[in-house]
Amino acid sequence: MAKSETSDSLFLSRRGFLASACCAAALPVLTPVSFAAMPGDNRFVTIILRGAMDGLDLVQPYGDPQLGILRPTLALSLKDGLIDLDGYFGLNPAAASLMPLWQAGELSFVHATSTPYRDQRSHFDGQDILETGSMDGKALRSGWLNRALALIPRSASRRAIDINTSMELILAGPSEADVWSTQSNFALAPDELRFLERLYAGDAGFERALSEAVRTDLAADGIYNGGKRGAAIADMARLAGGLLRQDYRVASFSLNGWDTHVNQKTQFGQMAGDLSTAIAGLKEALGPEAWSRTVVLAMTEFGRTARQNGTGGTDHGTGGVAILAGGAVAGGRVLGRWPGLAEDQLFENRDLMPTSDLRELAAAMLYQQFDITPGNLTGKVFPGVSFDKTSIYLKA
Amino acid sequence: MVFSFSTIAARRYGYGLKPGEEPAADVEALMAQVQRGAKAKPRFPVEGVAGRRETLGRLVSVRAVEAKAAKDGRPNPDLRRETQRDADRLLTHDAMARINQAVSSENGFYERLASFWLDHFSVSARKSYEMRMMVPLYETEALRPRLAGSFSDLLQAAILHPAMLIYLDQNRSLGPQSPAAAKNGGGLNENLGRELLELHTMGVGSGYSQADVQAAALILTGLAVDDRSFEVAYRPQRAEPGTQELLGKIYGQGGRSAGDQLDMLSDLAARPETARHICTKLVRHFVSDTPPPEMIDTMLAAWAESSGNLPAVYRAMLEHPRAFAEEEGKVIPPFDYVVCGFRAFGLTGAEMDALLKGDEDTKEEMAKPLPVKAQGGRPGANGRALTLEALRRMGQPVWQPPSPAGFPDAADAWLSASQLTERIGWARLAARTLGPELQPIEFLDRALGGAESDNTRLVVSQAPSKIHGLTMVLVSPEFNRR
Repeated sequence: MAKSETSDSLFLSRRGFLASACCAAALPVLTPVSFAAMPGDNRFVTIILRGAMDGLDLVQPYGDPQLGILRPTLALSLKDGLIDLDGYFGLNPAAASLMPLWQAGELSFVHATSTPYRDQRSHFDGQDILETGSMDGKALRSGWLNRALALIPRSASRRAIDINTSMELILAGPSEADVWSTQSNFALAPDELRFLERLYAGDAGFERALSEAVRTDLAADGIYNGGKRGAAIADMARLAGGLLRQDYRVASFSLNGWDTHVNQKTQFGQMAGDLSTAIAGLKEALGPEAWSRTVVLAMTEFGRTARQNGTGGTDHGTGGVAILAGGAVAGGRVLGRWPGLAEDQLFENRDLMPTSDLRELAAAMLYQQFDITPGNLTGKVFPGVSFDKTSIYLKA
Repeated sequence: MVFSFSTIAARRYGYGLKPGEEPAADVEALMAQVQRGAKAKPRFPVEGVAGRRETLGRLVSVRAVEAKAAKDGRPNPDLRRETQRDADRLLTHDAMARINQAVSSENGFYERLASFWLDHFSVSARKSYEMRMMVPLYETEALRPRLAGSFSDLLQAAILHPAMLIYLDQNRSLGPQSPAAAKNGGGLNENLGRELLELHTMGVGSGYSQADVQAAALILTGLAVDDRSFEVAYRPQRAEPGTQELLGKIYGQGGRSAGDQLDMLSDLAARPETARHICTKLVRHFVSDTPPPEMIDTMLAAWAESSGNLPAVYRAMLEHPRAFAEEEGKVIPPFDYVVCGFRAFGLTGAEMDALLKGDEDTKEEMAKPLPVKAQGGRPGANGRALTLEALRRMGQPVWQPPSPAGFPDAADAWLSASQLTERIGWARLAARTLGPELQPIEFLDRALGGAESDNTRLVVSQAPSKIHGLTMVLVSPEFNRR
């Protein structure tokens, strides 16, 4: 009995293999599995790490002897529990639960990267630049992810959700995007709803907020199924993942609390744990099929000082780390040109020198996931950024 | 739609209309509110300023004794829990009192200014144990009495208050070459130095450099918070020795002293970049996201002429023709929404107290979602859901800004699907709890004072139920914009 089952399944998989090898283009619509593999099913999630995430603490260049000198108490060695990634960089053990993703080739890091923001080191300007994708954060008033939506060739891939109580800049702009928090629950009777629609007839802003509320409430109800709602990181990831599993294709949310001026060890450990929880929660909520088509890009407004400060923390810096996770990521790599940590290698003798533009990474992910043309990416989404099909960030 | 001066004054420069309260009829009346407000004693801290200082000292020393005993192997977890609960309870009471203060005060313009300046000089009660008790104290003793004086005095009181020094880590910062750093290690933290230039005075991108940030941080070294009395002290052994150059001026030339910090603060207060930053922010907050340049210029002239006397600057804003122009206004933030809502129902201070009483202490209550289906029931049953819980869900918890930059202030920052959903839930619960006797159209008249559109009046008059009619007044675009 057992034997015949084995040969059956072998036969089936062989048949499936032959079919896809000879006429892949014709087959996809025939089975649910291949339907899920259509290009329109790719997902993209951005996580904004607000407060300036210390990339040198998350992905530590333990192979660089300067690290321990600059950061006497923050630098970890393999003996302290730092988890080796590639013989030069190690992962902070507070993010240990990300390691299965690394081993499965579903996690990469880009080191020494940043937006074009320099010198001022203000969280608020830095985040504006990160989210608008512009040189100075002032020229553009819309978010780059919002501008990207309109340029996705397949309109079915344009549904986007921001998990928050108010729209974040990254998704704000002319294209439609929904905002929903993990605790929103609409619960209006149909007649009450019709009166509200009339009430808002003359006010475009309220009209739009109401129709979003109605639309998103329907989708969110299905996920919660009447169950408990919470504001925890896991709930946020569950909501985002659940909506992406339905017909949303783009999602964004934020993790706040990375501004580690004092006693960084404790605070950073908690935050790294939150980040791991968020990524793991997305994977679980998306399920294997959708996860295999997903890229998660976690990024921050800037890195922190290479030297630790006088209070066991770090101050505002420049170069930092971006995190890529997901089944659609060419994982298991620490990308980026390493600038070194010697005094003359630092930016302004203070911060990790950025050697790449974070926007190129974001452009590459939008290209890979949604086929937005390089011309649109460098002209409209990230004006002036350098990106083409040979980008090192594209999955080989 | 009929916009009278007093309707605009109450809505754009106050917390909305309230039955039984005479709205300001001219600029003089608004300015009188500022003077009266600055002299009035606010409802928080609930045990008064001196009382709060005493509570703070007592609870902190109890915890210090326990911490020491715990170190010696004799911890007392009950005592820790109890003192934690005490501080949480005080914060809860104070936060409710802050809402009541805004609801019941007849000095609406002053109360709005208090919120504006609290946000400008943001600190968070979430920072540490002590801060739960200290932040209300900070607003009452450092900010409120100085909103009718000079910006320089206000700046000094805000920056040199222990709550600010703790919030922005100044109490941990040591001069890298100071004797204290040499002895015990530790060093510079530039958090306050940076925000002082970026947020509190000159504004980002106004021309200072990273070197100026560092100089400001070094000049601030020496400031410390006494961990028993919670008074600010200057400790020379923590100060960076030598001189520092900030924006072209040398500080500390006659040897380091507490005078350096006062000099720096008054120099920063006097800078033209600071005047422009503050005037622009005031106009953005009260009038428009795109401040009319001529309005800013008039205010800058008043600032220069009066050496930064704030009432002169407020007056210049109010006397400008654009200050009372009729236009589609900004969406009000959650705190203002809740306060304006209570005021529309005409609640007195005592009625607010009754609503909040007996519904304020349990932890479980904190986690409970806004019970949108709950009916009236016992008095006070929904007090917490309508105040602290609602503000938390709408994203503006009292005294807990998300960052030193405060809460968002752009016209549509508070207009989104989930925000609207929360406001609808609040309006429905408030209507059920506070307004079952009211006729929707009467409520509309007293809440909006002629600012409503014909469409809103028509839709409210046809509402499917009284409760839904009242709800629609509160969630109407006119009630939510000013």
